[in-house]
Amino acid sequence: MKAILLLSIIGCINCVDSLSDTFTEELFLKPLYSKQIYAHLHFSTKWDTDYVIESFRHTHLFPRALGEIIERHNVQELHLSLTAGLWRYETWGYPIVDAAPGAELWAWFKPDTQDVDKNWKELASSLSGLICASLNFIDVPNSISPEYSFRPSGVVNQPFVNSSFLRYSALPREIVCIENLTPWKKLLPCESRKGLASLLNSLRIYNTRYHSVAIHLRPVCRDAECELTSLEVQQSVALVYDYGILGTRNWSIRQLFGQGLFGSCPLAKSSTVYVDITSNSSSPFLLIPDPDEYVTSKRGAYTSTFAKYDINGDIDHISATYIGKQNVLINSPPPLHANQYLTGYGQERGGIVIKLYNNHWESLDVVVLQSLPWYVPIYLHTLKIQSNGKQLKPLVLKYIPGKLRKRPYYLELVLRLPPQSTTSISVDFEHVFLKWTEYPPDASHGFYIGSTIISSMLNVARNFTALPQDGLTIADSFNASRSGYLVQVRTEVMVITLPTPDFSMPYNVICLACTVVALAFGPLHNITTKRLILKPQSDEKLLVRIKNKILRVIKGDTNSKSSDDSTAATSEK
Amino acid sequence: MMLSLCIIFVCTILSSGSAEYIKKVEDFVKSGHTNNWAVLVDTSRFWFNYRHVANVLSIYRSVKRLGIPDSQIILMIADDMACNPRNPSPATVYNNANQFINVYGDDVEVDYRGYEVTVENFVRLLTGRLPPGTPRSKQLLTDEGSNILVYLTGHGGDGFLKFQDSEEITSQEMADALEQMWQKQRYHELFFMIDTCQAASMYERFYSPNILAVASSLVGEDSLSHHVDPAIGVYIIDRYTYYALEFLERVNASSDKTIGEFLTVCPKRLCISTVGVRRDLFKRDPYKVPVTDFFGSVRPVELLQDIENETQEITYEKQVTLSTKSKYRFVPQLENFSVLSK
Amino acid sequence: MDKKIRSWILMYFLGAFARLWLATSEYQKIISDRIEISTPLNSWKRITEGLHLTSLGIYPYIGDTLHEPPVNLAVYNVLVAACGRYFYLIFVICDTATAYLLYIAAKKYMRHLQNNQIDNKDRYAKDANDILLKDSDFAIPPTYVAAAYLFNPYIMFNCVGFTTTVFGNFFMALFLAGLMSGNLLFSTLPLAICISQNLYPILLLSPLFLQFLNIEKTPRKAITAVIMVLMFWTLLVFLSYYMHNSWDFINDTYGFILTVPDLRPNTGLFWYFFIEMFEHFRSLFIYSFQINVTLLYFIPLSIRFRKDSMLLATSLLSLMATFKSYPCLGDVGFVLALLPCWKHLFNYIQQGFLVGCCFIVTTALAPTVWYLWIYSGSANANFYFGVTLAFATAQIFLITDVLFAYIKREFTLKYGRVRKIDGKDAQLMLE
Repeated sequence: MKAILLLSIIGCINCVDSLSDTFTEELFLKPLYSKQIYAHLHFSTKWDTDYVIESFRHTHLFPRALGEIIERHNVQELHLSLTAGLWRYETWGYPIVDAAPGAELWAWFKPDTQDVDKNWKELASSLSGLICASLNFIDVPNSISPEYSFRPSGVVNQPFVNSSFLRYSALPREIVCIENLTPWKKLLPCESRKGLASLLNSLRIYNTRYHSVAIHLRPVCRDAECELTSLEVQQSVALVYDYGILGTRNWSIRQLFGQGLFGSCPLAKSSTVYVDITSNSSSPFLLIPDPDEYVTSKRGAYTSTFAKYDINGDIDHISATYIGKQNVLINSPPPLHANQYLTGYGQERGGIVIKLYNNHWESLDVVVLQSLPWYVPIYLHTLKIQSNGKQLKPLVLKYIPGKLRKRPYYLELVLRLPPQSTTSISVDFEHVFLKWTEYPPDASHGFYIGSTIISSMLNVARNFTALPQDGLTIADSFNASRSGYLVQVRTEVMVITLPTPDFSMPYNVICLACTVVALAFGPLHNITTKRLILKPQSDEKLLVRIKNKILRVIKGDTNSKSSDDSTAATSEK
Repeated sequence: MMLSLCIIFVCTILSSGSAEYIKKVEDFVKSGHTNNWAVLVDTSRFWFNYRHVANVLSIYRSVKRLGIPDSQIILMIADDMACNPRNPSPATVYNNANQFINVYGDDVEVDYRGYEVTVENFVRLLTGRLPPGTPRSKQLLTDEGSNILVYLTGHGGDGFLKFQDSEEITSQEMADALEQMWQKQRYHELFFMIDTCQAASMYERFYSPNILAVASSLVGEDSLSHHVDPAIGVYIIDRYTYYALEFLERVNASSDKTIGEFLTVCPKRLCISTVGVRRDLFKRDPYKVPVTDFFGSVRPVELLQDIENETQEITYEKQVTLSTKSKYRFVPQLENFSVLSK
Repeated sequence: MDKKIRSWILMYFLGAFARLWLATSEYQKIISDRIEISTPLNSWKRITEGLHLTSLGIYPYIGDTLHEPPVNLAVYNVLVAACGRYFYLIFVICDTATAYLLYIAAKKYMRHLQNNQIDNKDRYAKDANDILLKDSDFAIPPTYVAAAYLFNPYIMFNCVGFTTTVFGNFFMALFLAGLMSGNLLFSTLPLAICISQNLYPILLLSPLFLQFLNIEKTPRKAITAVIMVLMFWTLLVFLSYYMHNSWDFINDTYGFILTVPDLRPNTGLFWYFFIEMFEHFRSLFIYSFQINVTLLYFIPLSIRFRKDSMLLATSLLSLMATFKSYPCLGDVGFVLALLPCWKHLFNYIQQGFLVGCCFIVTTALAPTVWYLWIYSGSANANFYFGVTLAFATAQIFLITDVLFAYIKREFTLKYGRVRKIDGKDAQLMLE
């Protein structure tokens, strides 16, 4: 029996040539403006299969665990990210892959899905088991279907995009740690044993200012005619190291990752390291060893230069040494960035302000998406949009008010930001009083409000490193000039403290409230069911009566009975 | 004289038979488990309960090292210590101030974390009554041949264990959950370890068979922590688990150390509290049970009697179903709003 | 006569002026934000939100900010569109009109009392003559009622806070005036409007029925009145349905009042009780509390006070203001304004001082402990809960005291003031 199995495996190795999938791994390093270095590891797998009929029984380089999940839940596109830290757009530019702090999950379901909400909930549960995160808290009460902000990034064959097949949810409270990276690494063909994934040394990569792990899955065109599709998975790790934590400006692979490069993954089509040396003109640094090649990329009128290293076993270390004194650089912020913050004080009401900065010389059309949990009820009539002191009317306003415990508040605005302006969107909200069971164990920590997503199509690619829509690898982003470059800026998350009841009081409260109700019942019952009559008054004075009562209690009933009779006799007389 | 001969005759037969009989009895009660599972729970939240996370990760590390795979370990950690912003060495949890062992390691899979560690989830996990759609890694898929190690740590009291400072599981609920497991034949033998204050009160109510329980302190006693790490500022390990880990570090997969020795791992002079043991529900003699029966894993081995020599032609059928060709296209990532006038 | 009219006009003018001054000052915002004044049911902020959503084309009942029926929303829309910036004038005018209507209701009620006294004169005890009411006793209370409404701080804040309870009180006062006048239209239509706004005034069908039955002595009119109220109410519900062609609003209005999903603190007992309630028992206690406010005292009080429907209406209103799911100070103030009708009972009230002190203390403490809980973070929810309990207790003591005083006076009128059995001192007891 076992022998048969062994032989069938050997037999199958011959047959996998017909499964055509490719795997590429890349490492991208870029010194950022303010003493940080951005390291991005990108692992892409493209599998020429039709996602509609694929059963994921035989997989080669494609992660089977992920395939089974998307097949079971009828998923067309899946985007998942887990992030610790905030990406500082104003000084770091745009990342290759955007991610909001915490966990972010959005998925497009296939158009033949019957019950999208049920599939969504089960998808979140399955992913929580796969990636060891608490994604099972994602459910209908905290998911939305954004109409403008998210469109399929893969290929579609429907004439129209129906956003009812899209679900988006964010869990800002999620943390990222090794337990998320471990299963993520196991999705890669070489796991973390060989190739660039072996650089993911947990003792180093969590000592960063920004740490993000992402999985993006989508169908793409198989070829130029685009009549057949391929399934593409992009797994990425984005890290931003601080020179202060590293201890020195002169970074190296060993410093960033704790080890050198030990060859490439044998299953990879290519294994490359790119170093962005565009900043070399302002802060020159020397790369050791010399790169294999210099690549110049012209993207939308902006030129960047990259140093390329092919990892095939002979390079085991790359380091950079800065030459000369450190220059003071002027920061040129990107065309669009944003912040959000809370206003107000106390736990009764407050306000949310989203500030958008347009540093471009032209006006920008942006889509602002904010989804507020149901425990942050906003008042739309308090929505004020002001740009440089003047009122700004949104081009499109889509608002679905939330329902307590059932649905979040969904607000999507399309604004035309004037050039060189600061726009602030403010809205008031009230604090909600929850039932005592709805508070988390650490109730005074507060409740999180997710980040606002601001999407725009820029026509300049300044500080822009993201992959084009049809691109798979970082190499595809070189010279990839397009008519528009999509940026999705994600702001900070916010925490509000909701007023808490006293958690130790349930029985006390029930008793006290019922006592007050009984206080009304007693007299009213007496008034309505009894009549006023005259009763003979007892002769004895109050003190004597009390003394007799106490004596009665002490001496017991028999004695009291006789004394009662005697007093009754005297009063009746 | 005939009588005495008869007696001698009967006695010899009996004695010869009894040795075999004894062996038969021993064989009968020898462990027949087929797989090993571990349920390791840390119930405490907040940074000052760092030691409870270190406790549970110490046991996790030992159990993994001795062979139980991640798919058969359910690890529940109520708060994140390793990647906590207060941790001076991120992504590490040490059980010793001198940072000898990083119990968090590089390969850890936490199944229930944060707010998911609740009494309800714990009892549902044990009894197997989880909602449909729960992923496999969050289910305890044991059967009647499974030996389960259950390890709990946190803050406890007389008859209860606190979960995340907001709810409790009582010893009666614990006993009932284990009884449900027994009725549903979800375990072969169970080793119950608990490291909290007044821990012995948790196992006092057990009434299901095949459970061996050990607690770090008796009713009325507190379990104490071992030492403070001045760099972190909190106690980083509890005494009982510290010495238990010390013992387990010297065990490997082929070791013949017994559970009986494990039960005596922390005498009063080291632990300060008295270690309590409940052995009346456990049929076997703990000194004859290897530690790896609970902390290690049975490796499934199949003996092949004959080997097939013939090679077989495996034909791999190409996918006959042709994918339907259709015109696909990329959708613009954002609608064009320039048509909308201001 | 001239002087009387002048003092009258002065009273109304002062009341209106005080409201106008507060409504245009900076205190308006503070007052309208106070949770004792505006509850999720009557908050004007929510009406504004509903109107705004309707103007944007979003159906306002898919969220849960709005809890008024669509008909009311349409009326507010018209009013706000008509008045623009000066819409606070509507509230002030409504409040002043309510005071006048209460005056009319009290005057008619005094006439009923007078007639009642004349009719039953021969049934009274001989020595009870000095507690019989004189003509002056019948003339003064109505003015006191109007003054109590105009100058009651609860009512003033209720008006300035722009709550819809102002309109509820207006229609309630119209109902009472119509009821006491015996007018069929003016006692049925306003009641239907009140019921459609907050469900609880349905209890007032009983005083309506009993008034026509016992006082006007027209049983047919009584039944017609009840049927007319129900008809008007159904008409309003159907109107609301036809406005948006959906029944969603029922869940948001009547369902909201009955199931109490929003646990915002107010002066009532529901909020903290259901914040701390075990999930398993929630429906049981919702039922119990709703029965407590509606059915429990409805029939006994109706039977006991069938001869005096104004007192019955006041006691039902008082119980509603104490025990309903989202009470506010406007409801309490309305009941307090009606109390001068029974000025003659104040001799028999035993706990007046206690109740008065309780009202003053709780009114002063409530904002204080709220501030401490929500803004300072130095107190906790129990403080505010305690204050609401004390406030509810004060209201209960007040109404039970008034009812006790009533039956004591009744007894005294029937049996005389001397309390002696066979020459011996006797006690008045309930049995």
